[in-house]
Amino acid sequence: MGEPLLSVRNLHITYHRQGGSVPAVRGVSLDIEKGGSLGLAGESGCGKSTLANSLLRLLPPETEVTGEITLDGKDVLTLSPGGLRAVRWTSGAIVFQGALHALNPVQTVGDQIAEPMLVHETADSQDAARARTIELLGRVGLARPRATAYPHQLSGGQRQRVLIAMALACDPLLLIADEPTTALDLMVQAQVLALLDDLKQERELTLLFITHDLSVLTYACQRLAIMYAGRIVEEGPAWGVFENASHPYTRALAAAFPTIGDRSSRMAPSGLGGDPPTPGNLPSGCPFHPRCPLAEDGCLVEEPSLRVSGPGRSAACILV
Amino acid sequence: MHPGVTPLVEIEDLHVDFGPARAVDGASLHVDPGEVLALVGESGSGKTTLIRAIQGLQKPTSGSILVEGKPIDAKTKKAIQTIFQNPAVQMVFQDPTGALNPRQTIYEIVAEGLRIQGQPDDEAAKVGQALSRAGLRPPERFFPMYPHDISGGQRQRVVIAGAMIMEPRLLLADEPVASLDASIRGEILALMRHLVDETDLSILVVTHDLGLAWNIADRVAVMYLGRIVETGPTEQILSDPQHPYTKALLSVVPETEEREQQILVGEIPDPTRIPSGCRFHPRCPLLQSGTLAPDLAARCPVDDPGPLAVGALVGAACWAVA
Repeated sequence: MGEPLLSVRNLHITYHRQGGSVPAVRGVSLDIEKGGSLGLAGESGCGKSTLANSLLRLLPPETEVTGEITLDGKDVLTLSPGGLRAVRWTSGAIVFQGALHALNPVQTVGDQIAEPMLVHETADSQDAARARTIELLGRVGLARPRATAYPHQLSGGQRQRVLIAMALACDPLLLIADEPTTALDLMVQAQVLALLDDLKQERELTLLFITHDLSVLTYACQRLAIMYAGRIVEEGPAWGVFENASHPYTRALAAAFPTIGDRSSRMAPSGLGGDPPTPGNLPSGCPFHPRCPLAEDGCLVEEPSLRVSGPGRSAACILV
Repeated sequence: MHPGVTPLVEIEDLHVDFGPARAVDGASLHVDPGEVLALVGESGSGKTTLIRAIQGLQKPTSGSILVEGKPIDAKTKKAIQTIFQNPAVQMVFQDPTGALNPRQTIYEIVAEGLRIQGQPDDEAAKVGQALSRAGLRPPERFFPMYPHDISGGQRQRVVIAGAMIMEPRLLLADEPVASLDASIRGEILALMRHLVDETDLSILVVTHDLGLAWNIADRVAVMYLGRIVETGPTEQILSDPQHPYTKALLSVVPETEEREQQILVGEIPDPTRIPSGCRFHPRCPLLQSGTLAPDLAARCPVDDPGPLAVGALVGAACWAVA
């Protein structure tokens, strides 16, 4: 593995709310090398979006964050406000889910894409910012006249592509994409994935891609990390993890999206019973045991930690 | 349609115009009793307008829709009234959180359809049975709960219970699992298939998810710019598609790794400006490949291959398909 652009060590994130504290991320470590791509998968409430937001310190101020986050050589958790501003947009930029809410309804999308360039002085004039905006819109497959459109004049797919163009405005080293294609049609999703692929190859963009759709991640990323109840429960090369998962939870996620043509899934949708645990009220032992088809007595006692399950792979399950 | 079977829904040459926009432009479709039909297409293909017309929420410009042999009467009344006036057709929406009233209990939500029709004596029994059939057991436990007390997957089960309590013949499901977690998706799809298998319920499911069709659909109809451009049994369409549009859609499903991707450029055209000739020709990878015989290639931009024959079980609206 090359030099990591992003390195996370023993990250714990706890929300303090009325009525108690909620541990959303419980000891996550991960690395992404420069130019590499990591897919982070898991259900709603597993902590994946909290983790993504913490990387640029976008969490509410009262949130307790411990551990280490190193991005492009900088210690994100101890940065001064000025240092943090320098990291955001240029070292790392984030594409949020829900394109309608992430855009300002009373500003044209062109102005919104240009804004970070002017604030961060990556464009030295209004004209330069405008030219770069048109270029970025072209990259995401939107025609030049779209720059003067307001968000409500665009379709959901177009708005999502505006968000991607905006995230790319300051030429970030790391792109954090949180469910960027979930609301999109199949063909638009394919366009977005192809764009990300081009960017990875052209300019060594490093990618952290977050979604619950394992098939998309496997397609778009070199490595996969599966999160459950605030922890990574399996990690390894994307195809290996998808095709031959070690953890029973990963197997269930992988089976959720059938391979078309595979006889075993025809007229036989595969799901996982039960619901994900509430972060404030985790089951004893392995937090997956109430839903696990393979659970044994030992699973109720101790929470397993990640252990080697193959070359470059690890899983947190006592059966591994 | 299958000989000897009277279709549950028969749509013939349906047109729905919104001013200059031809949202549905000559669509013909049928749903047989006891089958799941997947209506597949991109945003803007007219899928949603088509199912609104089946519910009587959208008055067709021309063409006919028969449900159980009777024409659908498009009322201009409030949507909710129209839906409950025709209990044979019920709807399951994409986002269960948005579809449920946060201030009503699960019991009240599921009982609402019955109450609009006139409250029956055995209401509690019917609500219990509907919840239980939707996999929420024991049902009494859910009666006093509110939507925020239950998970996303359970909410979609409540939506399904609220539809099934009306004992419908047809369930219209608009992207029923698109907003759900991957783990829950399979459970909801299994429930839908189970309801069809155990009764003579039919489901028309609108989706852009071809894996969903593979999981539960008997037949697939592919819609593009207001028309059905290909239809056939699921296995045939998904393993050997004929229309270049269907081929392109299949090629970009992330799982189908071995196929060469055919990523279409841009989005579906504006329905106010439906292209001349074959409506797909400006985006058609087959036409752009230059491999078509010159007489065919000359034909695509000029001649409309026309809609599929009414009642067709298999077919593709493409000049290059023999």
